[in-house]
Amino acid sequence: MKRLMIALASATALLASSAMAQEKIKIGAAPYGLNAEFMQIWAAALQEHPAVKSGEVELTVFDGRYDALVQQDQFKTMATQKYNAIIFAPIDVDAGAAAVQTAADAGIPVIGSNTRVNSDLLTSYVGSDDTISGYMEAKTVLDKIGCKGNVVILEGPIGQSAQISRLEGNKKALAECPDVKILEDQTANWSRAEAQTLMENWLTAHPNQINGVIGQNDEMALGAIEAIKAAGLDLKSFTIAGIDGITDALHAVKAGEMTSILQDARAQAQGALDLAIFAAKKGDYKPQSDIWATYKDMPWKDGKEKIYNVPWTPVTAENVDQLLATRK
Amino acid sequence: MPSRSSIYQPEEGKGVRSMAEESVMSVGDNKSANGWFGSEQRRLLIQEYGIFLAFVILVAVLSVSNEFFLTAGNISNVLLQTSINGVLAIGMTFVILTRGIDLSVGSVVALAGIVSASFVTSSATAGISGAPYPVALGLGIGLLVGIACGAVSGVIVSRFSVPAFVATLGMLSAARGMTLIYGGGRPVPALTPAFRWIGTGNILGIPAPVVILAVVFAVSWWILNRTRFGRYIYAVGGNPHAARTSGINITRTQFAVYVISGSLAGLAGMLLSARTGSALPQAGIAYELDAIAAVVIGGTSLSGGVGRVTGTLIGALIIGVMNNGLDLMGIQSYYQQVLKGALIVGAVMLDQKRNYGA
Repeated sequence: MKRLMIALASATALLASSAMAQEKIKIGAAPYGLNAEFMQIWAAALQEHPAVKSGEVELTVFDGRYDALVQQDQFKTMATQKYNAIIFAPIDVDAGAAAVQTAADAGIPVIGSNTRVNSDLLTSYVGSDDTISGYMEAKTVLDKIGCKGNVVILEGPIGQSAQISRLEGNKKALAECPDVKILEDQTANWSRAEAQTLMENWLTAHPNQINGVIGQNDEMALGAIEAIKAAGLDLKSFTIAGIDGITDALHAVKAGEMTSILQDARAQAQGALDLAIFAAKKGDYKPQSDIWATYKDMPWKDGKEKIYNVPWTPVTAENVDQLLATRK
Repeated sequence: MPSRSSIYQPEEGKGVRSMAEESVMSVGDNKSANGWFGSEQRRLLIQEYGIFLAFVILVAVLSVSNEFFLTAGNISNVLLQTSINGVLAIGMTFVILTRGIDLSVGSVVALAGIVSASFVTSSATAGISGAPYPVALGLGIGLLVGIACGAVSGVIVSRFSVPAFVATLGMLSAARGMTLIYGGGRPVPALTPAFRWIGTGNILGIPAPVVILAVVFAVSWWILNRTRFGRYIYAVGGNPHAARTSGINITRTQFAVYVISGSLAGLAGMLLSARTGSALPQAGIAYELDAIAAVVIGGTSLSGGVGRVTGTLIGALIIGVMNNGLDLMGIQSYYQQVLKGALIVGAVMLDQKRNYGA
């Protein structure tokens, strides 16, 4: 939040002396909201991009406050102020399209990042395919319980694109194990506290029957862990999986309580910024972030691709310490 | 108690509302009353009995339809799951009795949770320097944060005559913002086992949050039914003009109820973080709505002066039992929301009937 205020203040200052800033490329980043850890890592990664640090790019981050309308208004502001490119993580797949249209009308290229938008006008998109992570986490759970027994699924808010895609992935893996029964399947709205209550009640309703917990994000998996602990049950008799690789989950993976899959916010942010600069400079640009070297499976391809899929990285006992070190 | 009843001397012309309030007192005090009071008293009893009856029916239906509902483990679960909303709802009862409302409790839950957690975390990075401190300090800080938020709302409402809805709406936004500033939007994990005990511990086999709820309830019942301050609260909410002419310090009474609500929100915030093991900046969103729902289902009138903390406790239990029961039966949470909505509206319809109907 502090960082955002500084960014906004500097944007205002920049506006006041726009003549001086002619040389700089003005890029706006419009994430859906900055309250949760993932988007904070995402926004921080943008500020740490070499082009921002060197002053080549003037970056402003707009907090979308989880409101499609707020995001649309921010796009109008950026259009008025003649930004050179916009990085966009919309709150909603369909509502985001209107914002992209606004930018297109003003001739500003828009790079999608993290969340998808239903629009042909997007220059390119850098994100991770949630269907894959949904499949991966369910597969981990099913492999560990030997493709038999009972599982429960903690879903995200119904209708959100991540929930839809991750469920699709979950179901694909579950279809490979027809003997596994889904005992319960409900939303806990990405919330740890809600998942904890739900799991407490499920443990009562299905005593000694739940073998696996598929949490569509880490928060909910962590809530399930607390419920199991509170019920005095042995965590070892459960296989629990989450997605995202938030800091608390990394600690839980390290303690052997769950598995998680890292969604690389840094790569999604810096990749999108490289593509935004590329679009703003009309192709006269070489990517500066080190993420292109890290992910061999996601080649730069001269910035021509429509979709860049940042690979998911399973968090393991081997890489967890290294990941924790990046979280300070 | 002659000194207390002397407050109610200038009672003629106060209207039905303060009569009802008086009858609440007499129910609480078990005093005999004349015929008119008697019928009002009976009506109130029926209403409260009605809520209790609804609760009993709900429990009976769930006991029959699910074999696990009436097990010791599940009863303990329901009480545990009700404890946080129960604590918030009791604080809310004080405020609503004075014709006020406290919309800020959900945000105060998050702020108190994260500030107190930063004192009792063993994480090297998330806490303040020197953490973890003794659990008593963490608890004290959390309560102080709640009291401070309540005091600010209280001053704005009582001194500056800003409508409670607006004042606490402001606090809802401000406290959430302060939560994000304080913690940089990050959760505070790894709370010490001593602190987590208030959320996960047991006292004679009863979960600690349930014991805390019981204590909060008992103290609140005593304040509202057995102290002069409690009578002031009913009087201020029932008829502020009459209360003023009888020499009640309205400003101080109003201020005090927001402090009570704030401190209980602080307590609830710590219970929540102790239960989840980590203080989250997104915690407590929309908790004020469940608290208000419990108060309203419990029969407290949003127009002040009428209501009982016992009703609030039953209201909170009804919400808790319903959520738990529907979870046990594997019914989607959306139905729980619809049912809760119906309950709230139904309870207010009863309230309207009592106040304006025959």
